[in-house]
Amino acid sequence: MTDEQNYYPEGAELDEQIQKRHRGGTFWRTLFQASTIIGILALTALLYNIINETFGTVAVQNRVEPDKLILDLAEDRILNAPNTDSSENDNILVDSLDDDPYGISFFGYAYYTENSDRLKLLQVDGVEATAENVANGLYPLSRFLYMYTTEEVLLENQAASIYLNYLLTNINREIGEIGYFPVSDSTLSASQIAWVQNSGFDLQPGQWATISPAGLEGNVNIAGSSTVFPVADAFADLIAAEGFAANVDVQSVGSTAGFRAFCVDETADIATASRPIQPGEYQTCRDNFLRPIELRIGIDALAVVVSEENDFLTDITPDELALIFTTAENWSDVNPAWPDQPINRYIPGADSGTLDFFVETIFPAELETLSRETLIQILQANITVGRGRNLERQQRFFADGFAFDDPDLFNEACAGEDPPTGCTRRVRDLENVYALVNQEIVQPDVMQAWTLVESIFNQEEIAAITAEEYPYAELEFRSWLTPEFLVTPQSSTPEFAGVRTAILGSLWVVAITILFSSRWGSRRRFTWKSMRLRTG
Amino acid sequence: MATQNPATGITGTTVPAENLTKKTRIGESIIQGILFICGAISILTTVGIVYILGTESLNFFTRTNWSDTNKRVIVDTSAATTVLETAESGSPVAVGDTIRLQDEIMLITAIDGTLVSVTRGLEGTEIKEHRAGITLERASQVNPLDLITSTNWTPQLGNFGMWPLILATIMTSLIAMFVALPVGLATAIYLSEYASDKARSTLKPILEVLAGIPTVVYGYFALTFMTPLLRNIFGDQTVSIFNTASAGIVVGILIIPLVTSMSEDALHAVPDSLRQAAYGLGATKLETSLRIVVPAALSGITAAFVVAISRAVGETMVVAIAAGSGPKNFTLGEDSLFSYILNPFESAETMTGHIVRISGGDLSYDSIDYNSIFAIGLVLFLMTLSLNVMSRRIVEKYREVYE
Repeated sequence: MTDEQNYYPEGAELDEQIQKRHRGGTFWRTLFQASTIIGILALTALLYNIINETFGTVAVQNRVEPDKLILDLAEDRILNAPNTDSSENDNILVDSLDDDPYGISFFGYAYYTENSDRLKLLQVDGVEATAENVANGLYPLSRFLYMYTTEEVLLENQAASIYLNYLLTNINREIGEIGYFPVSDSTLSASQIAWVQNSGFDLQPGQWATISPAGLEGNVNIAGSSTVFPVADAFADLIAAEGFAANVDVQSVGSTAGFRAFCVDETADIATASRPIQPGEYQTCRDNFLRPIELRIGIDALAVVVSEENDFLTDITPDELALIFTTAENWSDVNPAWPDQPINRYIPGADSGTLDFFVETIFPAELETLSRETLIQILQANITVGRGRNLERQQRFFADGFAFDDPDLFNEACAGEDPPTGCTRRVRDLENVYALVNQEIVQPDVMQAWTLVESIFNQEEIAAITAEEYPYAELEFRSWLTPEFLVTPQSSTPEFAGVRTAILGSLWVVAITILFSSRWGSRRRFTWKSMRLRTG
Repeated sequence: MATQNPATGITGTTVPAENLTKKTRIGESIIQGILFICGAISILTTVGIVYILGTESLNFFTRTNWSDTNKRVIVDTSAATTVLETAESGSPVAVGDTIRLQDEIMLITAIDGTLVSVTRGLEGTEIKEHRAGITLERASQVNPLDLITSTNWTPQLGNFGMWPLILATIMTSLIAMFVALPVGLATAIYLSEYASDKARSTLKPILEVLAGIPTVVYGYFALTFMTPLLRNIFGDQTVSIFNTASAGIVVGILIIPLVTSMSEDALHAVPDSLRQAAYGLGATKLETSLRIVVPAALSGITAAFVVAISRAVGETMVVAIAAGSGPKNFTLGEDSLFSYILNPFESAETMTGHIVRISGGDLSYDSIDYNSIFAIGLVLFLMTLSLNVMSRRIVEKYREVYE
């Protein structure tokens, strides 16, 4: 029996004991190291979290598209140009133009074909408006005609579904008769695929089957563009001749009203339009749980026409058109070779989609390229006078005039006892006005934001979600920490929020704390080295 | 004046004795005065805080709260009547209750069925006519016993049980302890005993960065990192979005550098001769660390732990953001103890979190909510004070003095 107290192992037993103690030592040592690493890991996780949330992809959607602002402005200039007659009735335009050698006009191609004996069609950029040029997209003044429906309508209203099937089968054969141009084969098959995917018929995308409309009953309500009306109406007659017994009701109320009937009132099964659905309209539809399906059914071309008596014009460029319908007074202002005679403009009215379309094609411009004055005009047209005055009181737009206020009123305010800052600060520069347009009118909203890691690894999913949920939003990579973030004051909209005021407040508190705790409270002399910030 | 020492014969000059007593130096006394004032200011500030806490809490316990009894007076009351005819409905009143009819305060002297005899116009209130249909309000005061006997904290409704808040504080602090103490101590041992000088000089500042991050950032760290992590591990059904576990873990992370730094200082202060002696006796590094150095530094380590606990109890922003925004009221016996009351994955509001939320809103002075936060503050103060006292005791008891 060995005495526990005095027993000392020897030889192999000693070696084993030493090794055991070393193993234990290694185990604990690793544990201690692991603890240290945990602390550092926590710090890493914290930094990762901060960086992950600071950067990332965002889906940005504008409240108002910048393009629309420019178009509104251009439309305004066209309507207010001298010697301009506008009418919603295209026949009046044709009659007025007929015997005016210095007149010029534009309207739907269908009206030109009706009056081709009295009018002269101009080539645009050297391209004549023929079916081939239009379908190829060579003729610049052409636009698609649309029909919109939803999956629910296609599944539940069989009459509407079959009507569209019949229309998509025969459209390219019939549309020439109606006065429009057929779409290219690929565009037509894209529309057919959209129908196949949503109609519930047992077809693969790419397959197309004509379903006999004979004997089908029900109601088809179509509302929308006056431009598409002849198409929808003609097909109502054509399909009825095939034995289609359903009641087809086609209303010509304008594209915008059509979308309202389709998305808001839900009284229309099919909306027709001479322009694509706008982001705002699409969002309204989505808010009502509808997902519009777009079908392109034809192409309308604008005819730029002059009188038969006009002998100096055969071809015209978009730039010349822009001048002719806005600032130029005489033909010679545009081209010295042309006569020194005033231009007589005959244009469709402000409510017609035709004018919108003309403006859209002729005046392509980027918001960034506009001058300060133009941007101020856009501001004047789009924000309330009250808001404008408010902005102007903060900082002026013009040194010698006033954008939103009666000059007398403003002078009075500046002469008062406590003049607003706008009286003394320098006028807003281009950058400032551009930012204002962006902030006050365009209002880019972040619809959804993703973290950095998601942005890197789930790009496809993000793109899919955006396409599905916010089709008019654009994806961009954003750093939420920007120089502006540091210098702008707080705001209730995250996109424009900054921390300047918060930073100043913190600095103020830090300064007071230094004053009390380090300078007087501590026996040590205050140095920057000795200063340690403790938060908590 | 020359003198000669008769014994040695050495001649010298005598100098008049210099006054060696303290000379008053004006500059020094000014500095002393300033230092004294500074010290006095910090002490007075503490006293002031305790005073405010005390008086405001006293307000909380002595204030009169008027609660509606829903008992109507069914006959018009003239200025002369002392008997109120009341409806049978509503909660009963008793003799001795102070009641209020509109602005007039009365004391109930006798009750006969629905007839209530009162002394009118108490506390200087004006005796007025009252129309039929007005309900009686009864005065009540906060019963200090409620604080520990009730388990429901809704001051507006007259429920003053502080347990939901205290339990939440204890839970987050305990979870924080489970994270911070082992990790912090092990890190301290590693840094002090194992790490090379180079490693220590790199690792320690990195860990101290953790202490320099604002706690509000930790709050969002808990909410946007720790909670999703816990939900991934334990399932969305089990873990609420706001929960004490996430807040507790993050508070733990927050105080790791505190524990590490203080413990490491204590371990480092242990004289090297002790280690050398241990090695000389054949101890391994582990044995030296755990059996010699840690016990020797125990008082410092304990102090670190207690300071860390106080910090966890008093920690505010993390729990305000991540733990929950409403007291987890419960009824003993009805609510399951482990799946609700003590479940760390449920949301709960701690004392500090409650104070932040209540005082962040529009709080009118002298309302019951306003007074209640001082009562909570007082309890919190007592908790941290007792922890600090405890730490002093421990430090004194286990202090080992070398050299």
